[in-house]
Amino acid sequence: MNAPLLEIKRLSKAFGRVIAASNIDLTIDPGVLTSIIGPNGAGKSTLINMLSGSLPVDSGRILFQGADITHLPIHHRVRMGLCRSFQVVNIFPDLTVFDNIQIPVLAVHKRARRLFRPVAREAGVREEVSQVLDRVGLAAEAQTVASALSHGDQRLLEVGIALAVRPRLLFLDEPTAGMNPVERVRVLENIRGLSEEGKTTFVIVEHDMDIVFSLSDRVVVLHHGVIIGDGTTEDIQKSARVREVYLGEEVMT
Amino acid sequence: MKRFWTYVFIALILAGLVSIGLFAGRFVVYLSMRVLILSIFALGYNLLLGRTGLLSFGHAAFYAGGAYGLGLISIHVTTNPLLGIIVGVGLACIMALVIGFFCVRHTEIYFAMLTLAFGMMVFSLIWNLREVTGGDDGLVGIVRAPISLGFASIPITKTSHYYFFVLFCFILTVALIYLIRRSPFGLVLSGIRENDRRIEFAGLSVRNYRLAAFVISGTFAGLAGALGALLESNANPFSAHWSHSAEPILVSLIGGIQTFTGPVVGSVVFILLREIIERFTQNWMLWFGLILLIIIMGLRGGVVGGVAQLFRRKRSHVAKSGGNR
Repeated sequence: MNAPLLEIKRLSKAFGRVIAASNIDLTIDPGVLTSIIGPNGAGKSTLINMLSGSLPVDSGRILFQGADITHLPIHHRVRMGLCRSFQVVNIFPDLTVFDNIQIPVLAVHKRARRLFRPVAREAGVREEVSQVLDRVGLAAEAQTVASALSHGDQRLLEVGIALAVRPRLLFLDEPTAGMNPVERVRVLENIRGLSEEGKTTFVIVEHDMDIVFSLSDRVVVLHHGVIIGDGTTEDIQKSARVREVYLGEEVMT
Repeated sequence: MKRFWTYVFIALILAGLVSIGLFAGRFVVYLSMRVLILSIFALGYNLLLGRTGLLSFGHAAFYAGGAYGLGLISIHVTTNPLLGIIVGVGLACIMALVIGFFCVRHTEIYFAMLTLAFGMMVFSLIWNLREVTGGDDGLVGIVRAPISLGFASIPITKTSHYYFFVLFCFILTVALIYLIRRSPFGLVLSGIRENDRRIEFAGLSVRNYRLAAFVISGTFAGLAGALGALLESNANPFSAHWSHSAEPILVSLIGGIQTFTGPVVGSVVFILLREIIERFTQNWMLWFGLILLIIIMGLRGGVVGGVAQLFRRKRSHVAKSGGNR
């Protein structure tokens, strides 16, 4: 039953002469909390953008649950269960927190096309929205306009929107960027809890080494578009090559 | 309590509109019809502008589609206005679907320019296809025959009778747009205005929802066009001119594009101001431009938005959200 969730085969991407991804082969198994790390310009964001559909690939194939999704548009991939959150806050600023979550939930329930029925009467949708709000800890703010939330809460909402589409695989792009320590702990607890639930497999792109090593089952290290390390946190901490190009800098400073 | 006053307000407006039809003079009735028809045009248009943020310069083409659809049926097939309206609205809907299919692939200025280009093409088609459309003369002699429903027939020849038919269409439009704005679909449109990237990551195709909004607004433009042709007894080629597309934009801006009632209030202001200014001066556009300048720069969010803000400041408590005013 443990077929890979995501398979990436010889994926390449170049921007002019800058190589952002070079023949990347990667498999992600369900339930394994994976982190992708690497110095600035390693190609982490490019990789996520290609996998989620924001950026066309130059060559290679992406298989999700066995189906080729290399050229599918974003919203098809999301429907199949592959979603992402963003590094910068990317919400619906003038809508309430509740409506922010309601839009993706409506999409999941296939109710978004209903023209003449009040959205307030979609009982099943409302219930699920409340559940998502509980999970990310924003239930008390349901009727607040999203732009009035604190930065940390906006980040939580961001994760909530991504979770609301019931993804099988969710990429979190620096989920704790710009958060204070309290919020950071809350988000990390959340991610760990959700990952243990087993419905969603998380892949995290992160700069913060503490987060990466405390949270991940598996760490993938990217450098100049090439995978230079892949294994458990101990493997990565021991790997000489990784230390050389990446951890080395951190150890020295 | 608040809801109670809303109902009282709506009842008063309806009573006022009905009494115009019953008691007012011919000219006032005619002017009111122009306001109602422009309101239908603008209400539909604002679903696109206010909800998805797309600025179209091509909606005059759909208005003309409605007008010419009705005119051609009325002259060549049957004078029963019901069939004419259905064909006119249907024609506008199909035109919006075809033109929209190409336009919604782009946004902002590219979208606006594409709609403008298509609008100009429709105008020159109408202008040059003399045998079908009558060229620069338009289609003249459209008669307001009674609406026959099979079991009953409603006369609309007299201006005051026709007024009630237009009023019926107006109320229908208001109700439909109100429902759409409150529906899941309406919420998704708001989401597109706020953040179209994120809509894709909610698993929805932005392009399809934009197209749907475009077609709905084009269809209402067609209804306005058909009603307008019946009112004026002709279909005028200049109703397809791109400058006519500016009317629903202006009207929505005057009233407030983020409000539900904005396009209606804007239509009242637009038609009345124009009528009043034209009494005094030939170059009404100059004065109208000045007044528009004051409204847009002085009242953020249009007349409705501005007034609502004043009220809120007076009560000094924040209403829980401004979704449907």
